[in-house]
Amino acid sequence: MRDWVMRLMDFVAPSGSEAAVVQALLDHVRDAADETWVDALGNGMARKRGEGPHLMLAAHVDEPGVMVIDIDDRGYLRVVSVGDVHARECAGRVVRFTNGTEGLVHADPSAKGDLDFDALVVDVGARSREEAERMAPIGTAGAVHVPHVTWGDDMVMGRAIDNRLGCAVAAEVFRKLAARGLNVSVAFTAQNAVGARAAQAAAFQLEPQYALVIDGAAADDVWHDDPAISLGKGPVLKVMDRASVVPLEGKRAVEQAADGLHLLLQHEVSRDAWSDTGAIQLAKAGCMAIGLGYPVRRAGAFAATADVSDAKGLVDLAVATAETLLG
Amino acid sequence: MLLKELTEAFGPTGFEDEVRGVARRELDAMGLSVRTDVLGNVIASTGEHHPGPRVMLDAHMDEVGLMVTHIGEGREDGGLLRFRPLGGVDPRVLVSKPVLVGERRIPGVIGAKPVHLQQPSEREKPIPMEKLYIDIGARDADDARRHVKPGDPVAFATAYDELPHRMAKAKSFDDRVGCYILLEALRRWKGALPVFGAFTVQEEIGLRGAHAAAYQIQPDIAIALEGTVAHDVVGTPAHGQSTVVGKGPAITVQDGQTVAHRRFAEFLWETAKTRNIPVQWRRVKGGTNDFGAIHRVGKGVLGGAISVPVRYIHAPTQVVSLDDVMHAIDLVVAVLDEIAKGGFRP
Repeated sequence: MRDWVMRLMDFVAPSGSEAAVVQALLDHVRDAADETWVDALGNGMARKRGEGPHLMLAAHVDEPGVMVIDIDDRGYLRVVSVGDVHARECAGRVVRFTNGTEGLVHADPSAKGDLDFDALVVDVGARSREEAERMAPIGTAGAVHVPHVTWGDDMVMGRAIDNRLGCAVAAEVFRKLAARGLNVSVAFTAQNAVGARAAQAAAFQLEPQYALVIDGAAADDVWHDDPAISLGKGPVLKVMDRASVVPLEGKRAVEQAADGLHLLLQHEVSRDAWSDTGAIQLAKAGCMAIGLGYPVRRAGAFAATADVSDAKGLVDLAVATAETLLG
Repeated sequence: MLLKELTEAFGPTGFEDEVRGVARRELDAMGLSVRTDVLGNVIASTGEHHPGPRVMLDAHMDEVGLMVTHIGEGREDGGLLRFRPLGGVDPRVLVSKPVLVGERRIPGVIGAKPVHLQQPSEREKPIPMEKLYIDIGARDADDARRHVKPGDPVAFATAYDELPHRMAKAKSFDDRVGCYILLEALRRWKGALPVFGAFTVQEEIGLRGAHAAAYQIQPDIAIALEGTVAHDVVGTPAHGQSTVVGKGPAITVQDGQTVAHRRFAEFLWETAKTRNIPVQWRRVKGGTNDFGAIHRVGKGVLGGAISVPVRYIHAPTQVVSLDDVMHAIDLVVAVLDEIAKGGFRP
């Protein structure tokens, strides 16, 4: 799983620019599905019809980034954020755009206080406006480049591990459930980092009775002696966030599945996240949506760390939960 | 003249009746199928029997304005009207502006303490909205109540005028310019495609009408026609201008609530270029338009926005280039032609 996740992390896919990584994921599940398609908002979906109620798996494929918004006569780029990105995190870093162009981010040395995006300029080495327009036209998205690093077999640090690891989990769970003849679909959702904009449209098309929504969970085990969520201590039940509360039947199914597997389970209560879970549960007449996760240090930031062993536990947990709900 | 009539029509958010009347009159004269939905959106359609894609063109009828909240009862403020904004209004643009209050269009002026009487500390800061009031010349509260009641909408009293160099000034170019483009595009376009014109309510307080309009239309493609921010004036570096007046309609790559469908944005751009219609990118992220609501409806909707640059947007007097308006109409008609020819497949 680790090497597959690291290949997925190589795709630069800020919200709205997910097409390439969505295709890679659909290629990975196509042979297990009756049909696959990409919708108007960029969600990639696979459907396998089978016995019993329909369970949807979802994981967002996008990541926060930047977008070219202006180019000056000298060929320097101005950028704005895509999703929740701080200008100070970009200063002095290398940006890699979706078309492969790379640039160095300069911060205005006279800017005072907290930096904003007006104080940033990206140099892509262009000698003129025209050259820059060819290299990175207005509207091109990019992300801060962070080479990935592995420690041992399972620890991975890099860009976009949140939520490419979740996509790998969702794909694998889909394949396992489809192989068992269950009625299942998977949505690799677009535009989550800008506010969970596309997941509801995915659920609208799929009309599931149940949804398991896979995403990173913020680990606080660096600065807290008594952390709520730690790497290496197992998958996470996302009990509540700003847009959803897991219904009791769903919570019991997850906990029962974890007990049956003798798996450590962590619980997340988040005040911050606007999740796909909240959007999916309210599509059409509604469905039971359950947020499941894997711990991530610096979740949502350009460089983050996760333990793939937690994600392997999450695959088992999601499969067992689905069997409890559908069985 | 239709643009003058549209901009001078009274239409703060939630009170779009007069604008709706103008739109319906024009649409009826074109012989289109027209209906008004429960929220007050006007939806016109043509070519519904043709195979898709179904195209929704959107413009919002409402404008930013004010609402009366309280009629002063005291010895000092008796008969003066307190108000809150309807939509995003900067209190700094309000002082001394003439307004029209309520359905009877009672004239008034926004008053504030004269500079002679202000404390030095008061002069250093803009006057906050709660210290401003509307003076309709009433002698006292009872006198004012004969003309006005809390909940009455307030619009700026600005006449449309043409300026040199094909420019014009008026209130509410945001988004009567979109209503005008939509009407003229529907008047001109003759082709085989299901096209829906949605004149929506309550955009300025959260894109509310457009959501319901899109739900009814279920479009495959949607384009919001908007007036958008331009700040191509003194003291602004090129990257801070957002759009430039006179350089053609603007196409969005990202705003507060949408990330452009890249292939569709490029299709709009290429359509303009091949027909020699001037066009520019909207070079700012802030703000949004009805497409922010439309694209999330149902199974998701592909599309974007075509916007006319507006100087002093959301202020009592706004300025546009009439050439930009005409080019926007040209672009909308060209885009419909291309879609009908199969030049863009959803």
